Order: sequence, then structure tokens, then C-alpha cells
Amino acid sequence: MSHIVRIQTRVHDPAAINSACQRLGLPVPNHGTARLYSGEATGLLVQFPGWQYPAVIDTLTGTIHFDTFEGRWGDQAQLDKFQQLYAVEKAKLEARKKGFQVSEQSLQDGSIKLNIIEGS
Amino acid sequence: MPRIIEVIVSPKGETKLQTKGYVGNDCLQASKFLEEALGIPLSEGKTAEFYEAAANEQQVRQQ
Repeated sequence: MSHIVRIQTRVHDPAAINSACQRLGLPVPNHGTARLYSGEATGLLVQFPGWQYPAVIDTLTGTIHFDTFEGRWGDQAQLDKFQQLYAVEKAKLEARKKGFQVSEQSLQDGSIKLNIIEGS
Repeated sequence: MPRIIEVIVSPKGETKLQTKGYVGNDCLQASKFLEEALGIPLSEGKTAEFYEAAANEQQVRQQ
């Protein structure tokens, strides 16, 4: 039997955050408070290249605070890529914890596909 | 057929999970751990394969 679920990613796991940052060549984020244009935000601070303000990850709610002023202060594509890699790394972590095999594949449209196979 | 959970993450970080090769309602439970770990479910649907297997089960019970 088969079913399909669509999910909105929530960023909760520091280990998966670190892995995603590593894949992007970014330093491991530190916990702190940053002053964004819209106000202060506290969480894990990720400084994307060329961004005026860091992105602030609230791991309790799984949300990311950021100010890019519609791309003028930072390229949204970098945050999108981070969220993609976070979801990939989080899925891999959880699958491996259960002893499943995982393979990763890049697709032509820029998506990343994981095949997670239950162990024998 | 091996039991597989296929995860596709779009360039914008939207995730689609699909289970393949599971029997009965096992497919619903199989991906639960990933759904809960990754975030908030936006939508859920059963594939034609889900309903074919259910129809086959019903036919077998009626015979």
C-alpha cells in the first residue's frame, strides 16, 4: 500500500542544522541574540554569505527569523538551500537511527531524493 | 518488493514522503517517524496502489 504526505519543514534539530551548514561550507552556528531590522531574535545564528543580517533559528518552534527586504539584503535562495539540506540531513539522521539504509540522489529540477529502505 | 520510504525535498525545502511496498495499513505507520521529525503535514493522500490492495483484500474475504 502507498500513501503520500506533504510536509512543511520545521527546523528543530541542532545536529541536522550543523550538518546542513557543513554541506554549505558555513561555520557551525552559535546560539545568541541578533538585531534584525524588524527587532531582536534569539536562537542559532546562521550568517549566509552576502546577507546583511544573520538568519536566526528558533529550534523550539522550528521557525527561522530573517530580514532580506525582498532580496535586497540577502539572497533567499541561500535560505531555501539551507532548508532543503536540513530536511535531507534530518531525514537521514532519523532513518539511520532506526537502522534503515539511506541513499541520496540529486534530481534534474534541483530536488534531492532519498530512498530509505528498511533493514533486512 | 522491498519496503521503501521515498523522500523528495524541493529546492525550496518542501518535502514529499511516499511509502512503497508496504502491506495493508502498515504504510501509514511506516513513515510516521519521519513525518513527525520533519515538520507539519500539509496534506496526505492515498495512492491508487493503496486502494487496489484494499480491493484485493476485500475480494479475498468475500470468496
